Amino acid sequence: MKVGNSNKQVANGLVALSSAAILAVYTAGYLRTRSAADRFAVEAAERRSSPPRIAGVERVVEPELPRTVTESEAPARPVARAPRMRDAVPVVTPKAPASNNQPAEQIAEAPALAPPVDAPPAAPEPPAPPVAQHAQYKDGTYYGWGTSRHGDIQAAVVVQDGKIASATIAQCLTRYSCSVIARLPPQVAARQSPEIDYVSGATQSTNAFYYAVVEALAKAR
Amino acid sequence: MIRSVPLMGTIVTIHVVGHAGDGGDGHDEAITRAFGWFERVEACCTRFDAQSELMQLTTHVGVAVPVSALLFEAARFALSVAEESGGAFDPTIGHRMETRGFNREHRTGQVVRTDLRSDGALNCRPVSYRDVQLDPDRQTIAFLRRLVLDLGAVAKGLAIDMAARELQPFENFAIDAGGDLYLAGHSPDDAPWSIGIRHPRADRELIDSLRVSNAAVCTSGDYERRSEDSHHILDPRTDAPADGVASVTVVAPTAMAADALATAAFVLGPVEGIRLLERQGVDGLIVSHAMERYSTRDL
Repeated sequence: MKVGNSNKQVANGLVALSSAAILAVYTAGYLRTRSAADRFAVEAAERRSSPPRIAGVERVVEPELPRTVTESEAPARPVARAPRMRDAVPVVTPKAPASNNQPAEQIAEAPALAPPVDAPPAAPEPPAPPVAQHAQYKDGTYYGWGTSRHGDIQAAVVVQDGKIASATIAQCLTRYSCSVIARLPPQVAARQSPEIDYVSGATQSTNAFYYAVVEALAKAR
Repeated sequence: MIRSVPLMGTIVTIHVVGHAGDGGDGHDEAITRAFGWFERVEACCTRFDAQSELMQLTTHVGVAVPVSALLFEAARFALSVAEESGGAFDPTIGHRMETRGFNREHRTGQVVRTDLRSDGALNCRPVSYRDVQLDPDRQTIAFLRRLVLDLGAVAKGLAIDMAARELQPFENFAIDAGGDLYLAGHSPDDAPWSIGIRHPRADRELIDSLRVSNAAVCTSGDYERRSEDSHHILDPRTDAPADGVASVTVVAPTAMAADALATAAFVLGPVEGIRLLERQGVDGLIVSHAMERYSTRDL
């Protein structure tokens, strides 16, 4: 199937709006969004200590470090068919942000407003990397089970030097052969023919493997 | 370099063509930052954690709450999709999804329950996206009624797009977040990426394949994330699981647009769904329950 080129005049609202949103979030930056979240927590704490009391604000969750499951080189593959290039998407000028024009009478002012957020810098501020890598898992081999509608998968996760060295399928109790997901990892999206790089659409087995890896990692802490 | 990490309830794979991943040139840092966005977006936008920035809004009815750029943009985009789809896509469906069994945190398995009773039993009109008010100048979000926002159809796409932004210096790479994809440049074969579309009724088969470059490909299927008796896409207008469609695949410049439009088209059904996609200038394929295929003109 051919994908048509996208030289359409994209006066379309949503694609332009999504591009503008991505730019805005990137410009605000990782550090900036984090500080906004922290400020929110501080304000919440202040609100708690002074009436009117607003319940339920406890803390803002800090993201955990990404956990690497595996790393390897991609196998080389023969070119299977004539390339049909989708043209690069033209840069879309973000249109004025849409807002929800609802009557505002019912809106009360948030108490204890923080100073206004600084104007975004002209150059995007690259997000800060998450906290420097440190050993977060204990060395060893851990097992975990994941369940799907088709059956269970057991993952074996090997931790070396506090990092995940490999994650493989140890046992496969699905109704179908695990040959499809035996390539996992690294290629989590099951390559169903040598011509296919990735598959769009979730697979049950992938979910089962996910839960199995997560369960195994919980034991490595 | 291919690296996979369990994030956002799925396995996220980043594949950079022609980069060995041996570090020292700042490239590994970019990849780490790319994965970091998934953590960041989930921590902010999840409805499965009562302490997330998103869920804090539920406890502040009638108050304009200053929020991070991330939450503001995700919510603004979700509300725009609601507007454009005439409410077929509605992020305020969160609490109804919760009560229908889509209430389990993917890491801990913990069940979440949000008590909305203080909304007042007399107010029978169901909440809708019109009950959320944004102030772009002050970056605030206000709920006019007690409700739970579900940004599930937007957040993963946003995380993919942010990761793609971090990886821009590489030119040729793929991001796979559980079957939602962004493909940049070309594959290791020096050709546009070859993408299979999962058959909605056969886990191991493809219903089609396409070649893409510099685009996102997202698929919503009725086979995903099921509770006991239904799939995870509810029609906000009827509260029942959306019927008539088996899967929708959308190819768009951003994963955020592709993911949200796939969900909206799923609810609208094949004919109206294709109309929405064409109006928004994106490509798409809709497969009906009867396995009939509907596609946009250029696909």
